[in-house]
Parts: sequence; C-alpha cells; structure tokens
Amino acid sequence: MNTVYYLIMVPMVYLAVAVCLIGVIARLIALGRAPRHPHSLAIFPQRGPRFLGALGDTFGMPTVRRHQPLLWFFLLLYHLAFLVLIASHFDLFPGIRILPADSPHMIGAGAVGVVLTLALFYFLIRRFRSPIREITVPSDYLLLLLLLFLVLTGSTISWANSWNSEAGGFVITKQDFGLYLDGLARFRFEDPREVLYGSHYIVVVLHVLLANLFLILLPFSKIMHTFIALPMNRLRRGA
Amino acid sequence: MDATQKQELRRLFASRLTGAVRMYLEACTHCGTCIPACHAYASEPELRHSSVGRAENIRRLFWRHFRPQGRLAGWLNEAVELSEDWMEKVYETAYTCTGCRRCVTYCPFGIDTQQIQSIAKLLLIGAGREPQVLSMLADMSIAKGENVEATKASFTQAVQGLEEEVIARWRSEAGREAIPIDEKDADLLYVALAGKHSIIPAAAIMNAAGENWSLSYFEAVNFGAFVGNPEKTREISQRIIDEAVRLGVREVAICECGTAYRVMKFMMGELPFRVVSFVEVIARYLREGRIQIDPRKTEQRLTYHDPCQIARNGGVMEEAREILAHLTRDFVELQPNRVENWCCGGGGGLVAMGEKEFRMRSARVKAEQVRATGAEVLATACENCHTQLSDLNEHYALGMRVAFLSDLVSQALVASQ
Repeated sequence: MNTVYYLIMVPMVYLAVAVCLIGVIARLIALGRAPRHPHSLAIFPQRGPRFLGALGDTFGMPTVRRHQPLLWFFLLLYHLAFLVLIASHFDLFPGIRILPADSPHMIGAGAVGVVLTLALFYFLIRRFRSPIREITVPSDYLLLLLLLFLVLTGSTISWANSWNSEAGGFVITKQDFGLYLDGLARFRFEDPREVLYGSHYIVVVLHVLLANLFLILLPFSKIMHTFIALPMNRLRRGA
Repeated sequence: MDATQKQELRRLFASRLTGAVRMYLEACTHCGTCIPACHAYASEPELRHSSVGRAENIRRLFWRHFRPQGRLAGWLNEAVELSEDWMEKVYETAYTCTGCRRCVTYCPFGIDTQQIQSIAKLLLIGAGREPQVLSMLADMSIAKGENVEATKASFTQAVQGLEEEVIARWRSEAGREAIPIDEKDADLLYVALAGKHSIIPAAAIMNAAGENWSLSYFEAVNFGAFVGNPEKTREISQRIIDEAVRLGVREVAICECGTAYRVMKFMMGELPFRVVSFVEVIARYLREGRIQIDPRKTEQRLTYHDPCQIARNGGVMEEAREILAHLTRDFVELQPNRVENWCCGGGGGLVAMGEKEFRMRSARVKAEQVRATGAEVLATACENCHTQLSDLNEHYALGMRVAFLSDLVSQALVASQ
C-alpha cells in the first residue's frame, strides 16, 4: 500500500503537472493556429477600450449578474476563493511566503474551503433542477464531484490538523507540507511519509490523487475556459 | 448514411472550424445563462428552442468527430455519430434559429450560437436537406447577376413606372431623373429590395436631400446567407460590389434589410467604398439639415423595433432614435430595446420559408412586448422584421400599423425653411 501511496504522492504529481502544462499549451497552440474567423463577431454598442472591456466581461461576468444574480454571486465567490486557494498552496512552499513563515494557518484559515464547498454544492444542486438538468452531460457532474471531493479532502486535512490539541492543534503542520512540496520542487523523490506524520495521511494521499486527476483532466475539459474566456470575450468586443 | 457522405459532411464541418468556433464548441460549461435569451424559448419553453439546446446538436458531433476524448469516452459529453436521425435533430434547430445573436449578450463567454448554427446549415446543405426554397432563391439571385444585361431593359422600364409615385412624395430637380440608374460617379449606390416599397420612399428622401445617387440593378436580400451557404452569400454580394466599383461610387447604402446590411458591412472584407444602412443615411441628412420632416404628420403614438442585424449586430441604434426624434413627438421605447431588444422571430430565412405557424408561436413574447407600449404605429427598418411584425399584428390582433422608417420619413418630408 505504501508503494501506491508513494506513486500517488510523488511520480503521479510530476505526471499530472506535465500533462496539464503540455496539454494546456498544446490546446492553446492548436486554437491559435486554427483559421481566423473571416468576419467580425462583435456585438454592439461598443464602448470603451476593447481589451479592458473584455477583461471586465471575463472577471466581472456582467451578463450573468444581469440575468442570473444568484448564480453570479456563487460564481464570483467560487472563482475568487479558487484564486485564494491557489495562492495559499503556493504559500506552502518554503521559498514563497505570503503569510509569515511560522504561521500555522493557510491563507483564509479554512474559510476558503468552506466558501468553495458551499459554491460547489450550489452548482451541483442547480444542475439537478430543470432546465439545467436537461443540458447537463455526465462530464459536468463528474467535474463538479471531482472538485467537491478535492475541496472536501483539503478541508478535512485542515480540520484534522486543528482538532489535535495534544500536539498544539496541528499534527501535520503547514511547515511539514512545505517540506513535502519543497522535496517535489527539488526533485528529491523522498517518501513523503518521512515528513508527513499524521494519522490522516490517507486523506492527504486522497487529496493529492484528486488534485492529480484534476490537473490531468484540465486540458481536455471545459475548465479550459480558464484560458479562453478572455479571447472569447474579446471577440464579442470586436477584436 | 454511408461512409462517403459522412466523410463529406465531416469535411464541411471542418471547413467552419475557425479558432473562434472551436472555442465556442469547447468552452461551454452548460451554465444555462443563455436559456431565457431566445425569443422562441421565452415564448415556448422547450429546450430545443434555447441557444444551448440548439448548439448541443452540433457540439455533440464535434466531440465525436474532432476531439480524441469524444472517440475514447464519448459518453462523458454525450458525443454522437453523424447519422440520418441526428441530422433530423440538426434540421429542427438550425432553421428555427433566426441568428439574432441575443444569446451572445447573455453568455459569460460570448459564445455565438449563430456561428454554431452556420455549421448546422452547412451540414444540411451537404446532406441535401436544406429548405429548397432558400437555395432556389439564392440561385435566382446569382443567375440574375450572371445575366444582368438581359434584364437591364425590363428593370429600367419597371423602375421608370415608379417615378410618378416618387415625384408625388418629392418633386425632382429639373433635369434629374427621379430614380437614376447606372449613374457613373454617383456618390451613393442605393441597393433596394425587389419591391416598390423599398424604392419609392428612399428615392424621395435622397432626392429631397439633393443626393447624387444611383439605384442598383440588384436586390439587396442575400438568400445565400439565409440558407447558410458561404459561397452563394459571397456571389450574391459580389454582384453589388462589382457594380459599385464599376460606377465608382463612394458609398453603398443598403436598404432596410438587416441581413443584407450585415453581410455587406461585416462579412465581405475590405471594400473600396463605405457601406451604410439607409437608416444612417437618413440620420445624416437630418443632422446636416439636408432634409426637413414635419412631426405633425406622424401624430399617432409610435414605437420602434430595432432589427437585430442592424442594431445589435450592426451598431445602428442611435441613428434610428435621431430620426424618431424628428419624426414624432409621441415616441415610446419598447422594453427592452436596442441591444437587448427581443428578436421579431422572422429572421434567418424563416419569413422566406413561410413557417407562419412556428413564427407566430415562437414570437409570442415579441407580440406582448409590442402590445405593452400602447403604440399605434410600429416602425422598423428591416424587410423581414416588417413582414413578421405585420403577421404578428394580425395574428395577435395588436391593432397597430407596421411601417418602414423610410416610409414614415418620406411621408413627412417638407421643404427647408
């Protein structure tokens, strides 16, 4: 079993990151090399600078705000929380410090996970209702479930750390995760078990497995909208 | 469907896969924000009438035939193989989409369902399943371009027969024809429709403005665009481009026909002349004081329907309001209006195809929107919209008069003070 854990925690991480990076770059190159659309796809009226307008459309989602305010609220919450989540994972690396080096907490102190969980539950429940249910395909449910379990296991790790009062509230500390990630970044291929001592290590492995799957699927899924939402909004602005 | 036909349809599909269209097909997250955008869905809430519902018919083919994950695990995106049965579904959604692009203003990414439906239409043409009436009309337009010399004399004679009616609205300057044709070095080439309603008001207005203009031999309407055939669309427009170049005009004004305007303005690439809609021309004459109109001649309460291809997809919105401000003292806006205006439900070739029963059902929301204004006159600036709104007026007993903007202006022309 330890071998399986090791494969998930070390080689599969490299594989996932490589598939994600190469996949995303290859998709973007393929899209960039596809023939240019022969005519303008602009919607009028066009006000203000196109690029800034497209940035506003991409990150502010004004069309959703106007027509589906509740969805917009959760979308905004979700995307903001996801950005904080990425930052908080970078914060784990010893070389990249956003919070003080001795801080026992991740950015948001667990609130980010709660926000993401709530948003993902909303997205999932929304999919069960008509007419969204009828346009939903299996990959929509599976992606949401993957994200939901990814966030839930992440939150569980965070809660599990806080619950152990005997060890000062933290079994596997933020600094321990930092050592694990530092080992990965420096290609040391060490067994993570040597720095991650907690009894809930299985949850950590599960979390990393789901994160790996997420990274591997990203270039082949609708999450590619992360990278192409801006160019698409530029087309609507007449670029 | 045999392998050869499948291969041909796949080739046609691939020919429409620009970078933009690929993104439109790949990025949809099925959030459903676009669902209420379509007038057909708002009038008759069936998913096949929604933007995403229509797009899915093509998106599922795309996953199956153009993406590896569609071949390896098609169930993930419910990918489907090209088949006779699926083409039935494609037909059902392709020619019921008016191409109004209202859904583009709802989608957080700006996914353009009209472009996705252009694939659907091309596949149907490839399978010989497109509405034959549209293909026939497109072929007739092209044939006219090829045989223009043979029809010139009869066209000129027919146009001369309209001159009296033009003069009745506005007298011509001495020595000038009321409807000039084939005028070398004219400043403006006016492209009308095959009908006097599209020629007489425009001629009166241009004569009142002292415009140096010429009437095109060709009708503006582009059935190639309606049927979804890019080659025929280009051929039909090319006849007008060649004529404009031959005459050396500086400007081509497209009559009140939304699709003709959008095709010529945005889809024909760089042209050696300016393309304007006739609405812009009227607004310019008013701004420059070249024509005067008497608002007392339009005393009834008036509202205005923004044609999708001229307003949302063409940018001509405020020019119509400029004209309306001169035309009437009792103007009421449709709600919503401009970019958010409901489509009339007659575009995309539906009017030419007939389909009255569907057009009336799918535009209930439009009829309600118009009725809510309490207006007595409903003005618009597009032939398709005019026909559809007239049908709605009758079907829903709206009790209005549907009028072209140019007609109202030409009736209200007065001599400069």
